This record gives sequence, structure tokens and C-alpha cells, in this order.
Amino acid sequence: MRTTYRVLAYLIALEVVVQAAALALAFAGLVHWVDGGGVLDSGVVEGDSDPFPEVIGLIVHGINGGIVVPVLALLLLISSFFARVPRGTVWALVVLGLVVLQVMLGYSLADVPGLGAVHGANALLVFTAAFLAARRARVRRPAADDVAAATADTPV
Amino acid sequence: MRRRLRVLLSTGAALAVLGPLGWFWQDSLLPGTWSVMDMGYTDTGGGAPEAHAHGDGGVDLRTLTADPDRPADVSVTLIARQERFRLASGRTVDGFTLDGTSPGPTIRATVGDLVEVRLVNISVPDGVTIHWHGVDVPGAEDGVAGVTQDAVAQGAEHVYRFVADRPGTYWYHSHQHSAEQVAGGLLGALVVDPSPSPGSAADVLALVHHYGGVATVDGREGDVVVPATPGTRVRVRVVDTDNGPMWVWVGGSPFEVAAVDGTDVHEPSRVRDRALLVAAGGRADLLVTMPEDGSPVRVHLGGRTGVVLSPSGRAPAPVPRPSATVDLLSYGTPAPLGFDPDAPDRRFDYDIDRRPGFLDGRPGLWWTVDGHAYPDGPMFLVSEGDVVRMRIVNTSGERHPMHLHGHHAVVLSRDGVPATGSPWWVDSLDVADGETYEIAFVADNPGVWVDHCHNLPHAEQGLIVHLAYAGVSTPFLIGGPAGNVPE
Repeated sequence: MRTTYRVLAYLIALEVVVQAAALALAFAGLVHWVDGGGVLDSGVVEGDSDPFPEVIGLIVHGINGGIVVPVLALLLLISSFFARVPRGTVWALVVLGLVVLQVMLGYSLADVPGLGAVHGANALLVFTAAFLAARRARVRRPAADDVAAATADTPV
Repeated sequence: MRRRLRVLLSTGAALAVLGPLGWFWQDSLLPGTWSVMDMGYTDTGGGAPEAHAHGDGGVDLRTLTADPDRPADVSVTLIARQERFRLASGRTVDGFTLDGTSPGPTIRATVGDLVEVRLVNISVPDGVTIHWHGVDVPGAEDGVAGVTQDAVAQGAEHVYRFVADRPGTYWYHSHQHSAEQVAGGLLGALVVDPSPSPGSAADVLALVHHYGGVATVDGREGDVVVPATPGTRVRVRVVDTDNGPMWVWVGGSPFEVAAVDGTDVHEPSRVRDRALLVAAGGRADLLVTMPEDGSPVRVHLGGRTGVVLSPSGRAPAPVPRPSATVDLLSYGTPAPLGFDPDAPDRRFDYDIDRRPGFLDGRPGLWWTVDGHAYPDGPMFLVSEGDVVRMRIVNTSGERHPMHLHGHHAVVLSRDGVPATGSPWWVDSLDVADGETYEIAFVADNPGVWVDHCHNLPHAEQGLIVHLAYAGVSTPFLIGGPAGNVPE
């Protein structure tokens, strides 16, 4: 379970990287497309087709951010109940909280564009929290105190 | 012992997290087949809570038709296909055609004509229907799969009959898998001419649709050049068939907004350097006066395409969209409404918001109507003859073009500011985020009418409720053997 916890936490950190990359790809594609004479209006935004191939970045960002990352964060929390990572549940809750905040920011930024900046900054907090959580779940070589702890946990 | 307790506690904590999620998930699952009559809860709007027939007794919606003995004045057959086809512009598109083209043939009638349309599905596997957008057709003819008919299966056909009782610009489109089929081109224009024909103005149809992200006017790309005589008036019938609103403005001449959503504007004033927002699904007829000196005029349609009215064939330079707008709330002059909206029989709230949750088991941020996500939203119940007042409040973070079937409503106010111009009759009303509209209409067309967002993917995401008449029932089912999926 400790390994599960660690892998999930690293996956969340990795997802933040994917999210940043996907968004930058989509933005670059948009700039390139506009350079070539493309016009972005609500007909395109609300349309169901892809005006330029890098739109895939936006789709990936939406699916990852809206579903995959929240599910991973939830699984991290559940795994923390079993993983016996020191303060593992607390860190999983921090990650989940930041992810929930991030999703809410993501859905609100069309409304209040300033929240876009917070969304970008909060992404780094998600990354950091997930990374630190993963580090807490490192598998160390058995040392004397670990053996002692394990013995103390043996049912009597 | 400690270990066992620990496992127990951990499992309990996991269940505490997963249990509510699982419950919400299973609670959101939709049955395979259901009647819209059983959806959500009944909102009587302060009127009589009359018995709402649940599929039995009362008036069967199928009997609400035009006079079956009257011969048709306009007869049209539309052949629906799913295929790869060529636009008028030459571009090849994967989508849907009617009679081999998209947009489908323009249906032209004179006011008072009985229009009869035979829809034949040759090769659309999911089935098709035709909804007459903006025409207040009888209850049986509305073309909504699973509500007013079964989707027309491959190899089958269906006949629509209705009297085109109001002159104006309308359009038609599939209301089966509508988000997919409308985007793919299963649509066309319907124009009802007044009688006697005014004859003075030339008439140009400008049906705007995006195919695969490419803006087109009547299937053509870029500027569509139309010959026009200096000094004459040209009526440009703008139809927005897309999911987003469209700004329309005119370079090189003043213009009037002669009609909105198939209803004439009362005493429209002539404006210049102003832009008009046409709602998704909405229409606007612009009356353009050609300059005497023979210079051309460009009607900009959404910034990427337009109609050029030109005596010489020469096109003028594009002009940027003016920041000033035509606000229909104060455009034109007042005229009698024909009813008193201040003495309503029913008042309804249509509050649009969104919240996280599950829709048919899918997690996401879903639209809500009056706090209820699909399919738990309100069913607005009216009786024939009721004056109905509806307040639409949009706090959902996105814009919604709201479309009530079978009726035209008049806008009373926006954000508390009363309407002071011509009566602004709509069937497709663009409600931006944060806006509140008050509208009113007379319940004069018995049936079961959906009232939904015409950004069609939003309807797919649950932004759809319905208006039902007391005593009217529909035998049709969402899902079912016909595979009815109206959104």
C-alpha cells in the first residue's frame, strides 16, 4: 500500500507536468493558427470541431483536470488509510484539497479571468504537495528503528 | 488486535469516502427508457395544480395536428443521409445531407400556406427528425424525438404538416442526437413570405453554419457576393445555426433590424456603425439601403464571413466590429402586446447554475435548473390560455441561448431594466452569464414543449426541461425501441 501511495502521489505530480505541457501546446497551436489567418470567435469556441490539431492539448487538459487528477487524488486519500505513511492522510488531504480548489478555479476562470493566474500558481502547489507526499512514502532500507516499529505493531 | 482495529478503521474511512460518492453515482444513473412526463417535479407557477396526465387519459399529443383534410399548399420531400459530401464552397465534409446538400433546400411558403414535408431517412443509422425552429407548429409536429414523435429510423419516413401562420425567417433541423446532427449539417432554412408580397426589397438568405470549424454562408466560404441595385433596399435574412451567438454589422451603409426571430420590429430606426448580437438558433432580418452612388456594402457575419451586396461585383474593405451595439431592449417603438403580462396566471423561475456531481454516472460539473440537475429539473405546468411570466437567471458561468419550443415570448426586462422599444418577441434568447431576463408569453399552443439551451452540447449536458399543458400527454419515450435521444 505504501508503494501504491507513492506511485499515486508521483502520478499526480506528473499529471501537473502533463497539464502544463498540454496547455502550452494548445496555446502555441492557437497562435500558429491565428498567424495563418484563423479567426477565433464563439462560433469556433462553441463548435464541436477542431480548428487546429493542437486543440488536443485543451481536450487533454480538460479530461485530465476534470476527471483523472481528482480520481487520482481520491485514490491517494483512500490508499493513505492503509499505507501507514507518516502523516500520509494529512498530505493526501492537502493534495485533494488543492486539486478541488484547482478544478474550481479552472471552471471559474472564464468568469473571472484573474483567477487564471491563481490557477497557474496553484498548479505548482499541487505539484509540490504531491511530490512531498510521495517522498514521505519512500521505501527505506530496514533500519533498527523500523524493525523496532514493526515488532511493536505485531499483534499479541 | 491493534492491527485488526487498524484495518477496520482504515476500511471504515475508505467507505466513508467512497460510500457517498457511490450513492450519488448510482442515484444519477438514468433508466434506459422513460417518459418526459415522469421527469423531475411539477412546478405550477402559482396556478392551479391540475392533474397532469401521465401517459393515459386526457388529450393525446398525436391528435394536435393541422386540419388533416386540408390539402397542402407547399409539398416538400427531404431525403436524409449520413455521408461525405461537398459544400457549395467545394470543401468536402463528413456529416449529414438533406436531398444531397447541406444546408438542405430552403423551404419557401407564403403566410397561411399549409406546408407538408415528407422526411425520408435513407442512411442515418441513429434516426432523424425535423424540428421547425421558431415556427409555433401544432403539438404533434414539433419534431422532438421521444417527446412528440419517434426518431425516423433508416428506411422509414414521417410527414410533418403545419400552417405557416406568421411571415418571417425560420430554420429547420434534426432534434434527434441534435448536438451531433445539427453540427454535421442536418438543417436548412424556412422562409415565410408575407401576403401580398412586399416586393420592394430584394431578398437574400444568409444562413450561417460552421462545418468542421469553417464558417459558411449557405454553404459558401468567405464573402458571398450578391448583385444589388443602387438606391434599393435589400432584406438580409441572417440565421445563426451554430452553438454560439454571432455579431452582425454592416459596413458601407446604414441598416434597420426589420425582424427578430420571425417577428417584425415595430418602427425600427435606421442605425449606422452598430453591431447586433444574434443568439444561437436566432434570426434577424436586416434591411440594408444600397448607397445611391453604387458603392458596395458588406454585411459582416461573425467576423469570418459575410454577404457583400454589390452593384459592380466589387467588394468593399472589411470594417472592424463597431463597439456600439443595437440593444433590442430599447430598439424601435412600443406597440400593444395583445395581452397583459402584469396579470400573469403563472410565474416560473428558470434559474441556471452548475454544480459538480454525476450525470448518468459520469462525473463532471453539470448544469442545474432551479437547483436540480438533469433529469430532476422542473416541469412547468400551464393551462391553455394562461398568461405566463418567466424569470431566467443565469449564474452558471457561461452564456446560454434559451429556446422555448412552440411559443414566442416577449422580453419584459433585462437585469431589472424594463423594455422600452418595440415588443421584442423571441424564440431564442441569448442570456449571458450574470444576466436576468423577464419574459412573458401566452400559453396558446397545447402540447409538451421542451425548453432548453440551444448551445446543443449544453442540452446534451442536461440543460433541458419542458413545459407541459394540463391534460395533454405524450405516448413517446426517451430511449425505447426507437432509440430516441432528442439532445
